[in-house]
Amino acid sequence: MLAGAGAILALVLGLIALAFTRTGPGTERVWIAGMGLAFPLTVLAALLAYGLFVGERLLPRQGADVVSVQAEGRQWAWSFAYDDAPGVVTEDVLHIPAGRPVDVAITTVDVIHSFWVPRLAGKLDAIPGHVNVLRIEADQPGRYRGASAEFSGEGYADHEFEVIAHDAAGWDQFLRGGTR
Amino acid sequence: MRTLERHRRLQDIWASERGWKGWTSSVNHTDLGRMFLVTSFFFFAVGGVLAMLIRAQLATPHSAFAGPELYSQFFTMHGTIMMFLFAIPTFEGLAIYLLPKLLGTRDLAYPRLTAYGYWCYAFGGTMLLVSMVLGIAPNGGWFMYPPLTGPIHSPGINTDFWLIGITFVEISAMAAAVEITVSVLRYRAPGMSLDKMPIFAWYALVTAIMILLGFPPLILGSVLLELERAFGLPFFQVELGGDSLLWQHLFWLFGHPEVYIIFLPAAGVISTVLPVMCRTTLLGYGWIVAAAVALAFLSFGLWVHHMFTTGIPHMGLAFFSAASTLVAVPTGVQVFAWIGTMWKGRPDLRLPMLHILGFFATFVMGGLTGVMVAVVPFDWQAHDTAFITAHLHYVLFGGFVFPILAGVYYWLPHFTGRQRFFRLGEVAFVLIFLGFHGTFLAMHWVGLLGQRRRIWTYETSDGWTAINLVSSVGGFIMAFGLAIVLIEVVLCFFVGRRMPRNAWGAGTLEWAMPTPPPNYNFASVPHIRDRDPLYANPGLPVQIARGDGYLGTPRHDWRETLTVEAARGTPDYIVVYPANTRLPIVMSAVTGLFFLSLLIKVYWFTPVALAGVAVLALRWVWVLGQRQDRGPLDAGLGVSLPHAAEVDRAPGWWGSLFLLVADAVLFGSLIFGYAFLFTVAPGWPPPAWFEFSLLELGGGVAGALAAAAGMRLAIRANRRGGSAWTGLAIAGAGALVVLLSLAALLVRTPPPSGHAYNATLFVLGGYGVLHTLIPLLMLGFLAARVSRGFVSAARRAELPIAGLWVDYMAVVAILVLAVAHLPGVAP
Amino acid sequence: MKDLVRILIGPLVWLSAFSAVYGLHGVACAFGWADIDAWGLSLMRVALTAAWLASLAVLAVTVAVLHSRRFGSPSGFVRGVSIMTGWVGLMATLWTLFPVVVTSTCQ
Repeated sequence: MLAGAGAILALVLGLIALAFTRTGPGTERVWIAGMGLAFPLTVLAALLAYGLFVGERLLPRQGADVVSVQAEGRQWAWSFAYDDAPGVVTEDVLHIPAGRPVDVAITTVDVIHSFWVPRLAGKLDAIPGHVNVLRIEADQPGRYRGASAEFSGEGYADHEFEVIAHDAAGWDQFLRGGTR
Repeated sequence: MRTLERHRRLQDIWASERGWKGWTSSVNHTDLGRMFLVTSFFFFAVGGVLAMLIRAQLATPHSAFAGPELYSQFFTMHGTIMMFLFAIPTFEGLAIYLLPKLLGTRDLAYPRLTAYGYWCYAFGGTMLLVSMVLGIAPNGGWFMYPPLTGPIHSPGINTDFWLIGITFVEISAMAAAVEITVSVLRYRAPGMSLDKMPIFAWYALVTAIMILLGFPPLILGSVLLELERAFGLPFFQVELGGDSLLWQHLFWLFGHPEVYIIFLPAAGVISTVLPVMCRTTLLGYGWIVAAAVALAFLSFGLWVHHMFTTGIPHMGLAFFSAASTLVAVPTGVQVFAWIGTMWKGRPDLRLPMLHILGFFATFVMGGLTGVMVAVVPFDWQAHDTAFITAHLHYVLFGGFVFPILAGVYYWLPHFTGRQRFFRLGEVAFVLIFLGFHGTFLAMHWVGLLGQRRRIWTYETSDGWTAINLVSSVGGFIMAFGLAIVLIEVVLCFFVGRRMPRNAWGAGTLEWAMPTPPPNYNFASVPHIRDRDPLYANPGLPVQIARGDGYLGTPRHDWRETLTVEAARGTPDYIVVYPANTRLPIVMSAVTGLFFLSLLIKVYWFTPVALAGVAVLALRWVWVLGQRQDRGPLDAGLGVSLPHAAEVDRAPGWWGSLFLLVADAVLFGSLIFGYAFLFTVAPGWPPPAWFEFSLLELGGGVAGALAAAAGMRLAIRANRRGGSAWTGLAIAGAGALVVLLSLAALLVRTPPPSGHAYNATLFVLGGYGVLHTLIPLLMLGFLAARVSRGFVSAARRAELPIAGLWVDYMAVVAILVLAVAHLPGVAP
Repeated sequence: MKDLVRILIGPLVWLSAFSAVYGLHGVACAFGWADIDAWGLSLMRVALTAAWLASLAVLAVTVAVLHSRRFGSPSGFVRGVSIMTGWVGLMATLWTLFPVVVTSTCQ
């Protein structure tokens, strides 16, 4: 995307620079129908199709090994609960298994927040009265930084959390009450 | 009459009062345009200082400069001021100053409304400044998302300043939009058909129509949120049947078109200035008009792209993603038409051209990052990071500030009558251009590294320190450049060589007058045969001054101009403008008291202020009357035209029509809100539906129909020379019945603070009552006019205006009663 | 005034169609049309596709009317611009609403 954008920018600026050195064809046909209509339509059609295709693929679909967790935002903390371990609630740390798709059901008890773990997925808002489901997946075990990405008042800058992705053994241990 | 004598006579008739007193009573568009521009650039400076404070805070990690509370006020006010108090008013000021001059007429359609709009802007802006000085400025972000801005999480007065102050300022935008629409369509030099209009007028027309359609959702949203904050009507509280997403829809329904409302006038400046800088004419005029119209409408299909992360289903996102990519096409058409114009002509690197080149480089980059964020998966990452901040500044600074600076330097000799003396502008341009790109290129990068928008500080370990420092240094370089521009502009009013007429060699009519322009613009109104009249006829300025056009002989101390039929530009009727008056400033002060009483919660005063506004409004229209038939008047060049009081479609009718279009959008947004809560809000259905009453529903509908029929009867009877009284009486009785049935709705609605459904019914009922009281007031006014002899078979113009408002009342009443009563009987 | 309407009508029809289909999408999701079967497809897909095709038909007629001698503008300039904006409406309907046949409905 960046390379394409750079090429288009270079083209436009080049055409402007050339205008200072020569008087060229001033026809509406070339400039408007060709450059103004046909060129962007082609580029945009390709880009849109690509975006929709990727967007479809990122949707949370049903699957056998999907893990479900709940995320509840408030000013200025997150609580996480787990379908596989009823009654367990962790504060500001979300535990997930690595290598398996995880559906995070996101909501809030006060104002709007947004759940965002940049290295695992895009962001999705926590909206009062609504539950939004985000599909995330960590390829490798490890710790990932997460943050709320919707302005929520004074404590917004520090409204962060952490995601710990466990390997299979670690995840079992967590569910059985090991690492909390 | 000799040329100099004509000039003196016209000068006497059109002059504003001398000195500072003249500012308060002037209704002249040249004065008011200048006042608008000076005020808006003052706010640009204030917003710029706030931007400097933001950059000072973010320059280093753990900055002790400002805490989170103050920082929230900085960025909220920076966005608010730049959007509402700088960008929109700059468009209004430029259009108010230029349009009559470009269109070959002597003033805008409603001179007093121009002044009223200016004072509403000045007073509303002052309100926000006061909040800032007192340290209680709005702090919820310029988008004001509830529940953060609701009564529970923001109990302070900060948010009220935003909701009430901005709504007050918005009055000026609505006034200007109505005025610009009517002026471009009707107030042109004869012969100027649609295809001969200067391109800036097309852009101004399209922008004005967008304001009429785009601002009402925001005004409605602000009213609803203030009702929630002040009286507990729970539109956005999920526990009581509201939904905070409703605010986001209403806000972005305004907010995205807003971006194009800002861009289109700037594009109009480029389309005007660029061909002159290239010594040629614009390539693809018709294509550009079509592209502007397309852009205006497509921009209304983008609002959800600000909500890509709110959990809307993928198909919904796909519609808006598709629309967001498509909107790049008409933009591309315009950009390539401009480049084609450059190829067609011989571009000269004069100062306005430098800023246009700055526009090209910056705006194209902003457009390209815009296409990136239109792609949903990319946006899921970039949303709410500094990448978006960078993108929007490329679009807004590139797409608005650079073109406006080009325009400022292009028209500066017109404003002042002088040419620049010191060559500061070139230095300033270099500083602004380098500073801007230094600031915001860096910001793209730090955004992709994960820096969120609106955080007040960050950690050294984040690794963003160096980039932020670069960004801040760039910001200060840019500010330095803008300060130099300011100094040069101020200097130009005092120092500089006298400007020869039309020094740029332009083809449009504003250069066919002496500079600085006389109050009356044109000594006589020319007949237009070409799109660039000065190219086709270089002798035109002399002919105008000699009185060879229309209305070349001043009559009765009248401020006269003439209107044309919208499409073909054939002369239609003669308008006599009101002269200098302080009514606008007084009326906007009383309007300000109304808003102030809401802000400081002195509610007993609110109805007093409203009554004051109504009384002043009646006085406003009363002074325009005539008690004798005039018949056709000589307009010059062998044409005789009727007086505006003696036509069916007077200026007031056109103004009412477009104001009602905006009003209908507001009503439509309210109905949309009702439907949205109905289908989406979790707390629905409500505990109980409103109880159906055949009497109230049937009575209200019958009253509405009777009122509309009564007005038709009155208009027809009056035109035939008969009495209008029977029709007016029927209309009045019908309106009273409507009022009763709507009052019953208000009384029988369960407590509005109990559930969003009740609150919605209450607002619908209140809207209906207001729109019944207005026509009732007008009917009372008409009755007084008829009995005092202001109305005759010829002087008929006022009846259809009231007729329009009665018709609107009828439609609103029937719809309100239907949506209130019918769900109660549905299975 | 008629000429102004001629210039605005194409995009205006698109805007109405776009809002209507988006509204229909919201209503259909709220009432669970995605899970109701209709001729082998979901009722939702059928309804939205029908609405899309109907919008396209209305816009095609609009463009034809703007071309026609009887309803088209007498001014050559307005005629040209209104035909262009008419095509804008038609193309925009095609472009912005095609997701009704390809993307998932209520997820």
